[in-house]
Amino acid sequence: MNAAESPVVIFVGQPNCGKSTLFNAIAGPKAQTSNFPGTTVKHTHSLVNIEGRMLNIIDLPGTYSLHPADPAEKVALTHLFSEKPDAVINVLDASILGRSLELTLELLEMDLPMVVALNMTDLAEKKGVSIDARALSERLGVPVIPTIAAHGRGVKELLDAVFDCLEAGCRGSRPRWSKSVEQAIETLIHSLPEDLPCVATPRFTAIQMIESGSLFCSDYMKDIAPEFHGRLEDIRSGLAAERDMPAYEVLAAERHHLAQKLFEETSRVTRRLRRGWGERLDDILLHPWLGYPVLVLVLVSFFFLIFKIGGPLETLLLKPFASLRLVLEARLDSGMLFHLADGVLQGIGGGVAIVLPYFLPLLVFMALLEDVGYLARAGFLLDTFMHRIGLHGKSVSPFILGFGCNVPAVVATRILESRRDRILTSLLIPFIPCSARTTIVLALVAYFLGPWWALGFYVFNILLVALLGRVLTCFFRASSPGLILEIPSLKAPALKNVLLKVYVQLKSFVRFAWPLLIGGSIVLGLIQSLHWDAVINSVLAPLVAGALGLPRELGVTLVFGFLRKELSLLMMLQALGVGYKDLLTVISREQMIVFTVFVSFFIPCLSTFAILWKEVGRRIAFLSAALSVTVAVMVSVLVRILL
Amino acid sequence: MTARNLLEAPLESPLRIVSIAGGEGVRRRLFSLGLNVGDRIALAGRGILRGPLLIKHLDLGITIAVGRGIAQKIMAEAADERG
Repeated sequence: MNAAESPVVIFVGQPNCGKSTLFNAIAGPKAQTSNFPGTTVKHTHSLVNIEGRMLNIIDLPGTYSLHPADPAEKVALTHLFSEKPDAVINVLDASILGRSLELTLELLEMDLPMVVALNMTDLAEKKGVSIDARALSERLGVPVIPTIAAHGRGVKELLDAVFDCLEAGCRGSRPRWSKSVEQAIETLIHSLPEDLPCVATPRFTAIQMIESGSLFCSDYMKDIAPEFHGRLEDIRSGLAAERDMPAYEVLAAERHHLAQKLFEETSRVTRRLRRGWGERLDDILLHPWLGYPVLVLVLVSFFFLIFKIGGPLETLLLKPFASLRLVLEARLDSGMLFHLADGVLQGIGGGVAIVLPYFLPLLVFMALLEDVGYLARAGFLLDTFMHRIGLHGKSVSPFILGFGCNVPAVVATRILESRRDRILTSLLIPFIPCSARTTIVLALVAYFLGPWWALGFYVFNILLVALLGRVLTCFFRASSPGLILEIPSLKAPALKNVLLKVYVQLKSFVRFAWPLLIGGSIVLGLIQSLHWDAVINSVLAPLVAGALGLPRELGVTLVFGFLRKELSLLMMLQALGVGYKDLLTVISREQMIVFTVFVSFFIPCLSTFAILWKEVGRRIAFLSAALSVTVAVMVSVLVRILL
Repeated sequence: MTARNLLEAPLESPLRIVSIAGGEGVRRRLFSLGLNVGDRIALAGRGILRGPLLIKHLDLGITIAVGRGIAQKIMAEAADERG
């Protein structure tokens, strides 16, 4: 059976409810999980074989409600419609059942076959909440299966319930609203135009319209059915006048009370909330003064650990490749064959010996930070400083993700509610030193000049981002809605989650980035053997040699830096024709710093450029490229003058 | 105690949300995160240099950080310790 014929099952749940962990437990290492609200900003498909039965399972971004307010929630809602699921698995965080059930009540109105996974029941027990799953199932009218996704508990029972649901059906009972709301819904259902293009049940559509006004199917309503639009507004204002609050609040408040009632009827609070180790640790991590030294300590110690692990590993791994290069030099003349073989060797050797020693520890530390839940805490601490550059704390998470790779960081800007914040954050992300640039900084600046120089580079880089943010804010004046950010409970890092995340990123590096490094090195070898590099270098000489004061041979390496930033570093050795250890014999320390600064800032790499185009549009992508080139030239010249 | 906005509320003492003002987007976001009129909360921390506020939901046990502009729009009064 292929993907098209297999039943489609969609995972829906609020952020941090353990949805992706549950999805991973079923799908294997495909979905990314983390402890930050809104990490699964892209949806993940997976075709799984469960004891001979195929399921096409889809993980959607976590969504607090089905109200299409921010881009991540729009993705969730759009997919619920477009994938036409055969069943929905609604994952609930049992430790905050009252709130989780509000989304369940919205989903029940869609009238789709549904199974509820009552997840994190262990955490609920720890909090002193005992939930009667059977009673909850009776009231919702759908199967409710207790699970502990992190330990794989309840997964089999959940899948059995899903298969039963696919065979026998399992549509839940719809929530009962107050009389006036039911009346408003009924009136609107009967007024809905027959040719309404929005795909949902009439009841769900009517509720969404009363709640969201023109946000839901807005184009259709304003342009094609102005009369209906008027009728809808009458119903909304009637409800608002009767209850003395806006229509959306009437529904939100009633849903909240319905969920609370369900919670009270099916749960028992055995003891009052107790302070756990996480809360005690939070007293320090979120402390108005202590929080900052801890934040600096965490980031600086990660930096030194990456360097202390990567440096010796690099020295060790470089040796065999250096000897191999000597053999090549001895056996082959400096003809085309030598240049091509040298290109292959530089590409493979550079990947193994220069990139991976720094890249791997960085991946592990990024995964740890995400999994523990520290990103949201950094967001809280840095909010006040982000305001100085016209943003707020919610942009901190995309920025920190940017230290790993700028591409997911740009995608993660979807968690920001306002477009202005998304554009501003997306324009600044390419200036965050990603793992590729960290490799260059550590392998050049830290390795040859010492780790303090490299740390200085990072401080300089962060100040530059702040300055740029300040300048850009002058052009994007609209006010930002301000910070609203859930701080998830601290979790002990799950080794399995961390390893999975590292594995996924490493696989993507080996599959996409490394071939680019090898291919680029071979192309440079070819260009060198044909002496075309001299042409490119002389065209770029006014910039490279004139303005930046670098050896003109480096011109060609900068062109290739657009593909992958590390490529510039690997090609630097190839272009200068020296081994890594002898680098200081051909360029000075000052030139090394200028080169690092220029390569770091001069243009977003191809993948970042593409994702900027996709996420915030072509204009912003080109603006970002122009901004990067301008900043890189200005800053590099300044650094050259200062040194 | 009369209702006052969260910026003026004392730290760590139980409060009950009396009203939430502001635009539709902000109010809906707060509702969906679990902050509703009538809920019991406590102010768990204030960021330095006019930084954000940490609101602890006493029944759900969740913590939400909100900027000062938003905190100013949440009115709360002293709540009964026993809930």
